[in-house]
Amino acid sequence: MADTPERELPPVPPVVAAEQLATGGEVAVGAPATGIPGQDRSQRIKQIVVYVLLFFVSLLFFIPFFWSVTTSLKTLPESVGFNLLPANPSLRAYREALTTYDFKSYFLNSVFLATGVTIFNLFLSSLGGYAFARLRFPGREVLFFLVLGTLMIPNELRLVPVFQMLIDFPVVHTQLLGTYQGYFLINLVTATSLFLMRQYFLTIPRDYEEAAKLDGAGYFKTYWRVMLPLAGPALAAVTILTFQGTWNDFFWPLIIFLGDESKYTLPLGIFQFRTQFYTQWPELMAASVIAIVPIALIYVFFQRYFVAGVTAAGVKG
Amino acid sequence: MRYRIAVLVVGAVASVIFAAGAQSRTVIDKPQAVTASGTVTLSGWSVSTTEEDLLQQVVRAFERTHPNIDVKYDAIPNYDQAMLAKFSARQPPDVFYLNSEKAPTWISQGLIAPLNSYISKTKFNTKPFYPSLLRAFKQKGKTYGFPKDWSPLGMEINTQLLARVGGKAPKTWAQLTAVAKKLKPLMTGTAKPICLSAEWQRALMFVYQNRGVILKNGNPQFTSAAVRQAINFYVGLQRAGLGDTPAKLGVGWCGEAIGKEKAAIAFEGNWAFPYLPDTFPNVKWRFFPVPKGKVPATLAFTVSYSTSPASKNKDAAWVLITYLTGKAGMRLWTSKGLALPARSDVKVAFPAPSRAPLLGQAKYARVWLWPDGWDKVWSVGNNELSAVMEGKQTVNGMLSRLQSEARSVK
Amino acid sequence: MATVAKKRGSTLGRESVREALVGYAFVLLPIASFLIFFMYPLGYAAYISFFDWGALGKIESVGLGNYRDLSHDFLFGKALKNTFRYAVIVVPTQMALGLLLAVIVNNALRFRTFFRAAFYFPAIAGSIAITAVATYILSADGLLNAVISKFTGETYDHAWFGESDTALQSIMALNIWTTSGTMMLFYLASLQSIPTDVYEAAAIDGARAWRTFWKVTFPLLKPAHFFVAVVSVIGALQVFDQAFFVSGGGGGPNYSTMTIVLYLYNTAIEGARFGYASAIGIVLFAIIATLTLIQRLLFGRAEVA
Repeated sequence: MADTPERELPPVPPVVAAEQLATGGEVAVGAPATGIPGQDRSQRIKQIVVYVLLFFVSLLFFIPFFWSVTTSLKTLPESVGFNLLPANPSLRAYREALTTYDFKSYFLNSVFLATGVTIFNLFLSSLGGYAFARLRFPGREVLFFLVLGTLMIPNELRLVPVFQMLIDFPVVHTQLLGTYQGYFLINLVTATSLFLMRQYFLTIPRDYEEAAKLDGAGYFKTYWRVMLPLAGPALAAVTILTFQGTWNDFFWPLIIFLGDESKYTLPLGIFQFRTQFYTQWPELMAASVIAIVPIALIYVFFQRYFVAGVTAAGVKG
Repeated sequence: MRYRIAVLVVGAVASVIFAAGAQSRTVIDKPQAVTASGTVTLSGWSVSTTEEDLLQQVVRAFERTHPNIDVKYDAIPNYDQAMLAKFSARQPPDVFYLNSEKAPTWISQGLIAPLNSYISKTKFNTKPFYPSLLRAFKQKGKTYGFPKDWSPLGMEINTQLLARVGGKAPKTWAQLTAVAKKLKPLMTGTAKPICLSAEWQRALMFVYQNRGVILKNGNPQFTSAAVRQAINFYVGLQRAGLGDTPAKLGVGWCGEAIGKEKAAIAFEGNWAFPYLPDTFPNVKWRFFPVPKGKVPATLAFTVSYSTSPASKNKDAAWVLITYLTGKAGMRLWTSKGLALPARSDVKVAFPAPSRAPLLGQAKYARVWLWPDGWDKVWSVGNNELSAVMEGKQTVNGMLSRLQSEARSVK
Repeated sequence: MATVAKKRGSTLGRESVREALVGYAFVLLPIASFLIFFMYPLGYAAYISFFDWGALGKIESVGLGNYRDLSHDFLFGKALKNTFRYAVIVVPTQMALGLLLAVIVNNALRFRTFFRAAFYFPAIAGSIAITAVATYILSADGLLNAVISKFTGETYDHAWFGESDTALQSIMALNIWTTSGTMMLFYLASLQSIPTDVYEAAAIDGARAWRTFWKVTFPLLKPAHFFVAVVSVIGALQVFDQAFFVSGGGGGPNYSTMTIVLYLYNTAIEGARFGYASAIGIVLFAIIATLTLIQRLLFGRAEVA
């Protein structure tokens, strides 16, 4: 490590490091990337034990999904008993779930709303997060506390005034009930995403912006060209959280789309299989399983943005 | 002289004719029909697919006989929350379900429209409705809805187990205890003879059977001897090992207890259908009238069709309400036994198991109905009762707390 | 090698104004949205909390009456106690578990994708499925008791959700398990941002893994800690869904699952007493805001500049 040149820029950040790794360039990493070192026998045994333990723990985490799938293949009497597996697995519940109600519409509505809200959120929360983290403006602390404050208001408390606003929005007097715009409007950005982006931007060394400023970049360009690319993991987290939050949202779609079944989302559809005294478990689970698939896909796709840090950091547990 | 008599007679006859003619002009008002047209929105809470199909059938039958009116039906999840939001925005549906439990509060807040003007205009006959059910929707002489169906609490008994202990369903408190004692050895694991909900919505009927009342002239009577005795009986069944709460039996509610054979006796109502036959088709059980204490009594739960002052199409709402709660509409709605008719003139041939034991209790069924603000009393009450049945609270302690909660209702 | 003088902050007035304007512009839409859809309803709730307010509006003015009633409201007292008990246990446990999972998954392990998916799955799976499975597993004759019975040799039939000793605790365990995946995500994002030479330096100094973690990684995660702590506390104090589902809305057995938001919900929806419900909401807001402020002051200085 003799020839560390005088550096003007801080070490290469993880995401960039991964790219460099991919293109075979030099990377400022030192630790081994993956795998069992394989030196010590006791080390190896310890590793195996750890893996086995983790495997069982993970299995525990998968239990609800496993149970949902098996229940969806059972008959109703079977589903309430203590049966692990169905006697005659059948896709009847899936057929029922898909034909009793307009599930195709529910699915498409959920996809549309979740995608839209996620995109809005990504843009607005990263922009706002950057401002709160790096730009100075009077009242910044107060405004940030206002952002946090929105998390402290339970939905039930907001219900009546928001509902009244949706029916007759002040000043412009438009009716937003039963419209997709209405849903987007009240879900443009969440405080959680904004907060998360801010925290993440705070940890990025200032040197990048300084360099950008020297290059003559304005604030928006700095944000767009420098900060955003550095925020990969945080953006991935926001994507996953927002998509999943909107996908599983029951409260606001119920309030907004009541009376217009063509706009119902999946949670509303799923809810129709339960009443006060009677739940149709197989159909309910079939619908839930169908609903999980997209989020699982989104998660699997976006979680690889966490991978970059692994190859670069290589901390041995 | 004869001339004067003749004039008198003519005059009298003339007067009579004149009077008769005048009488026929001030005719007693004939019932007038309400003509309505347009769209009417109908909202209820989510029901099982079987019930929803049935309701759609009734609605279509209505539309056939009333071609000018178009019905738009919605099943609303989270019904109370959604309805309150709609009321507050002055955009309620035209016709909707009104739960008897909510009726006093919603009526007192002016959310429900009185139907008296329609009743007197059309001379709608409300006599066939069971009086106790109709009364649930009346306040200060005004009628706010007609009951669409109802159910009392009945006694569900597992017939196979009952046969093994002699086959005679208990008719009195003493017999209930006796039968439960005989059933005890037959129950395995966590199962017990009787499922005892830790809810006043079930325990209260024992109070009524013991001639107890909760409100006398507006004053709470929780600490009266009759109430105390009845609750001690109810809780005593658990203490004697003859019954237990659903949670202890490993189920969510007593209907499930019957289905999973965790209990042989449970006190539930017609809402067992279609749940029990669909979910537990192999269990053999049927309804019996609840045992009587000093007097026969049971609890009833009912729902009306109502409309709101802010509803858009009140005339059409009235027509729809009277159809749905009229003889033809109600007969169709209750034909499958998923609901019990709220009118005594609707006779339905129910599918087995029989609903007759439930209907037969109409005379002495008392609707679960409380003044505005009592939701909190019962929230405390059920928590206290569950504490009592966990052994963490005494019956007297519960009753005095309830007495003070009830006194503080504004 | 010329070193470029770094400008620390702008000294020109115009630049500050420009920065401020850009700052406002960037946060304009979020702030506007929050003001309209959160702050206005909060103000509305604050206003009607001084009234006896029904579904159709004002019934009568009661001034501080609602708040006075709240102060000796037996049910509200129970709700406060339960909610705090819940938060005190759930928040630290959730944070610790989330951090643990993040560290595990951040490591160079085989099958990390599988683990990462597994740990986050409860958060994805939707609360209906999860709560249904939990009720199934934790019922008096459910899976957990069956396992315990096998171990102890005698039948164990404790109703986890149905007894007041364990109902709230079971909800705590359930929620810790489901939200640890989300906390893991938050921590994972932050773990990525730690520059690698930090670890190198520690390795050079001969620090072993555990020491590295405590002395190096943990302190560098302070912004994440703040975030996770604040979000955890806010979420925990508003616990509602499981309490509602498990108790059927009653808050039982024996008041054990009565939480503040559940009481608010019942007051508003069962009782149609919007004024009183709003008072509950305002009190809750005040509690959460105070706690967040305290956390801000505690963590504030530690934010990486």
